[in-house]
Amino acid sequence: MARVGVFVCFCGANIADFVDVPAVVEEAKRIREVKFAIDYKYMCSDPGQQQIRDAIVQHRLTSIVVAACSPRMHEKTFRKALSDAGMNPYLLEVANIREHSSWVHQKDKKAATAKAADLVRMAVAKSIANEQLHEISVPVTKRALVIGGGIAGIQAALDIADARIPVVLVEKSPSIGGKMAQLDETFPTLDCSQCILTPKMVDVASHPYIELIPYAEVLELDGFVGNYKAKIKKKASYVNFKTCTGCGACWQKCPVKVPNEYNMGIDKRKAIYTPFPQAVPNKPVIDARYCTMLTKGKCGICSKVCEKGSIDYKMQDEIIEREIGAVVVATGYDLWDPKPYEEYGVGRFKDIITSLEFERMVSANGPTNGVPVRPSDGKVPKNVVFIKCIGSRDEAKGIEYCSKICCMYTTKHTILLHHKVHGSHSYVFYMDIRAAGKGYEEFVKKAQVDTGATYLRGRVSKIYKKGDKLMVRGEDAQIGQVVEVEADLVVLATAVVPNKDNPDLARLLGVSYDKYGYMSEAHPKLRPVETAKAGIFLAGCTQAPKDIPDTVAQASACAAKVCGIFAGDTMKKDPMISTVNKEFCSGCQNCVTVCPYGAIVTEEVPMGHGSKEMRTVAKINEGVCQGCGSCVAVCRSMAISLAGFTDPQIINEIVSI
Amino acid sequence: MITLGLQEKNTLLTDVNKRSGANVLECYQCGKCVSTCPVSNFMDFPPREIMQMVKLGLKEQVYLANSTWFCLTCSACSGRCPREIEIPAVMEAIRHLALEENYTNKSAKVKAIRKFHDIFLDMIRRYGRSYELRLMVEHNIRTRDLFKDVMLAPTALLKGKIPLLVKPVKSAKAIRRMFKMAEKLEQKHK
Repeated sequence: MARVGVFVCFCGANIADFVDVPAVVEEAKRIREVKFAIDYKYMCSDPGQQQIRDAIVQHRLTSIVVAACSPRMHEKTFRKALSDAGMNPYLLEVANIREHSSWVHQKDKKAATAKAADLVRMAVAKSIANEQLHEISVPVTKRALVIGGGIAGIQAALDIADARIPVVLVEKSPSIGGKMAQLDETFPTLDCSQCILTPKMVDVASHPYIELIPYAEVLELDGFVGNYKAKIKKKASYVNFKTCTGCGACWQKCPVKVPNEYNMGIDKRKAIYTPFPQAVPNKPVIDARYCTMLTKGKCGICSKVCEKGSIDYKMQDEIIEREIGAVVVATGYDLWDPKPYEEYGVGRFKDIITSLEFERMVSANGPTNGVPVRPSDGKVPKNVVFIKCIGSRDEAKGIEYCSKICCMYTTKHTILLHHKVHGSHSYVFYMDIRAAGKGYEEFVKKAQVDTGATYLRGRVSKIYKKGDKLMVRGEDAQIGQVVEVEADLVVLATAVVPNKDNPDLARLLGVSYDKYGYMSEAHPKLRPVETAKAGIFLAGCTQAPKDIPDTVAQASACAAKVCGIFAGDTMKKDPMISTVNKEFCSGCQNCVTVCPYGAIVTEEVPMGHGSKEMRTVAKINEGVCQGCGSCVAVCRSMAISLAGFTDPQIINEIVSI
Repeated sequence: MITLGLQEKNTLLTDVNKRSGANVLECYQCGKCVSTCPVSNFMDFPPREIMQMVKLGLKEQVYLANSTWFCLTCSACSGRCPREIEIPAVMEAIRHLALEENYTNKSAKVKAIRKFHDIFLDMIRRYGRSYELRLMVEHNIRTRDLFKDVMLAPTALLKGKIPLLVKPVKSAKAIRRMFKMAEKLEQKHK
């Protein structure tokens, strides 16, 4: 005879305001098998859990029902309370009377109470059929995959590798470094970006525990936490990296000039190129889109000048596989294209540039040797207007959110302009100054007071040309008057948007992403690093716009999470998985087709006891099965059952109401 | 429409900063001064806006604003300013600069205030101290508003708030010398 204990939670006012909790307890007591029922303000608190532990011992309970919040929230907490009291933790059932009743029926307390009582009744009925289950151990492949070689990927890879865990770092472009390699100085300390980044890049290349795979993409990821298998496409570089010394003869002689992405297209690079002088690895690749040898079969100069014979025009893309246990996604961000701002004359006026273009110009290794120039006539601009929130906080043309970093990088740009161009002046059109961060407010003050940048509160309405100047019109809301600034150069602080490949990559990895394309964390506050898929973590702007300190912090957090997974040789896994009753299995293999995890294979078993004739039946790989139940639903012969959700349990639930 | 160019030409900012000893660039436009100021309701541009206009170099607007004349220099604003800007000093500097550069606000109220300042200074020069009764009478005569606040006079007189006669201070001569020195300095400045 089952002896069920029911514990109903007030959840402060969350449940108690809309559900009559004592009435639910009374209702539960009327069930024959319920031998103990009680309510409490916060069941998840330690005294709440203690009541469960005490009741288990005192009333010799055989299963427990906790009526509280979603099992996603506290199922683990209560399971632990059960096992602390010496009870199998899987004898717990959670009736979700918060999300499923009190929160959604706030206007009708009576109905909410009745529904809560029903939910409790169902959970009690189900729990009676609960069986003792035991955690499964699965082996772990101790190797991490880091996707993206910007500062987030670099930091995550270094931290994991420093814990002596092998890392595979896959970077899409020919060099690691990412956006940070394009920056001149960083706010708020004005550290030289290259100087603090390149040592880390070199560390990555020389680290014995890091396998750096540049110019490559992840094609597939199969498996589950601890046991993933990744397919990686190494794009053909047409250069044998093993023999290439990076001498540079090839790109000096290459006759094909194309816009240089690293410098935002301000100058040209060759068809065979390294992205920038400090590139890691410092080996060139041939851009197959432009190389005339590859497109038309004419040229071959690089091959002729290469003393090592490293050029190989016949090189093909190569697909390699790596077994890995955890993944860190660090794909970074793109900048929003300001084309929709037609009223500013974007595209018509050459002297309107984006902030990353400005950043490249003021960089010492940039296309203009660190001095900003007007694209139209090459003159050095004196009066520069910076416009913030281009695309950000603009539901009509851009995106709703605040890109978080533009306030600070614009502040930095005004200071850099002041340093680089004598007698220059900055005007900044802004909506708010968001300077939340260590040393950030002080940095803004430095720009406003020490370098005298003029901040005008208001969005620019239009820009028009007058002589060789651009007239920038906007309101200065501080004095409530319309102003026009005569600008030599206009710099647009364009919004941060997710890497355009994010949705495809997210689908490939099996993690969710939001309406903008940022990958979603498991919980916005308490699990900001994990995804909902176990073993896949997010670092940097893959998850949301953030600055370098936040990115590095999140990357290190990812590394800690990865090291946590790899702390033991095996991993514990919930026993809620499917099993096949071979006697009943007809071998139709419908389950094999529907399984989203590829967890079902087939095996040959004798037709009968001692028989030599064989027949095919389904077999479930318990390490891979996630317990989704799809196979149970399609099984015609009812041969598959899912532990924790067996037919008797489900039928009990249905019959109880 | 206000047109803004290179700030090299913004002499207003440098002049005001130099004269007042404050740094107007420190102002981050919080508006605490405006809500503190007892007379901001009567100003055409409250102190925060004056600060921003100085930053932008809007000389004419700033010099012709009545705010600088309405300012009582009570220092409530500077006492509460989170950036510790000496706002009354800025207001005073603007008054001086406006007069020096011959910008005159022609509104009746500002005229009356300027007359008050003139009479007050004259009084100090003459007696070495303020002589309230004469100040009131003369101001009323010169602003052609003879009976202004006249009903307050009996009570004030009876309670001894306004003495009928004034005792000149002992060092009246020294004070006159101070005025002469100041005039000389002013000449030199010009």
